[in-house]
Amino acid sequence: MAAELEHEPLAAAPGRKGLFLGMLQVALSSFGGGMSAWSQRIVVEQRRWMSNESFITGLTVARLFPGPNQINMAVYIGAQFRAFAGAVAAVGGILLVPFSLLMLIGVVYFQFHTAPAVDRVLTGVVAAAAGMALSMGFKILHVYWRDPLALGLAALTFVVLEFKGIGLIPVVLVLGPIAMALYWPRQQRHG
Amino acid sequence: MVDPSTAWDTWLQVVWTFLRLSLFSLGGGNTLLAEYHHLSVERFGWITSSQFADLYALAEAAPGPSSMIVGLLGLGAGWDHGLAWGLLCGVSAEVAVLLPSTVVMVTAALSWNRLKDAPIRTAFERGLGPITLGILFHVGLTVLRTADHSVVAYLVSAVVCALMLFTRISPLYFMAVAGVLGAIGVIPS
Repeated sequence: MAAELEHEPLAAAPGRKGLFLGMLQVALSSFGGGMSAWSQRIVVEQRRWMSNESFITGLTVARLFPGPNQINMAVYIGAQFRAFAGAVAAVGGILLVPFSLLMLIGVVYFQFHTAPAVDRVLTGVVAAAAGMALSMGFKILHVYWRDPLALGLAALTFVVLEFKGIGLIPVVLVLGPIAMALYWPRQQRHG
Repeated sequence: MVDPSTAWDTWLQVVWTFLRLSLFSLGGGNTLLAEYHHLSVERFGWITSSQFADLYALAEAAPGPSSMIVGLLGLGAGWDHGLAWGLLCGVSAEVAVLLPSTVVMVTAALSWNRLKDAPIRTAFERGLGPITLGILFHVGLTVLRTADHSVVAYLVSAVVCALMLFTRISPLYFMAVAGVLGAIGVIPS
């Protein structure tokens, strides 16, 4: 079934409005989570804007470049069809509803957060959220586990940020190029 | 009534802060959290440390990308100047943090396939991973220190961290349970 779908022709390239509405649909569908799965279902399977292969390439590029992954993915999809204008339309579509909702939550928070009951509940929620933040590094640690150079670079980055009080920008600007030089692919020798 | 010139100053401070950080949001954007905390609490005093922890939790719990915390930080920065300034700073902060990375990402989306065999692509893909790893551990500890003020709170964080790593349960449940624990007074604030 999936193999047959691959051979079906793609739909016509969407315009800015189509991109906005498509990404709005992705955002609304993924309110419970799983945004990249929903965006694959809608963009590749339902609307047939792009092949699964180019969608997967997009996920890789989105993860690699600066910016939030899910938003970068919207940028990638929009840019494929309408360059910068398409990217803006797609990001607008994916952010409109959740961002408006978050601003509303923020306004309610700043209005009422001094209430003791709210404060107590938040103490718990905040502790759980901190646990989530702590898990982020551990989650990708296994990728580098057998690479002493990577672990050394990670440790150096951590120590400089944690104990030297140097800001993120100078650290990335200095250590980033050093890391890239160390991982620069060696010239293939033939013969 | 707050002096409008200081409101404009705050707005400029917000926009410039997030514009310049945009291109440093490696690894999906979470690498900036510690820097956000440093700037919005210690440097500019837009919000308190405990408000930062609250906003982080709200952004994680709300639907949509958690990197939208930037909008909440902007809202907090402008809040002292009134609701309208708060919303303006919130929206501006989000636009500012997304604009530079979007421009770069558009360029990347349109040219990445042509760079398929370029050494810089390999170096970029493999070299920045370890840096991101180091930053994420720093971010984890910073959020932990900001959020937790009792042994029980640290315990809750550690349990959630372990559950995140070893189960596939949605983190929303952890936040709900921890919220109830907080409400009944188990976690001292």
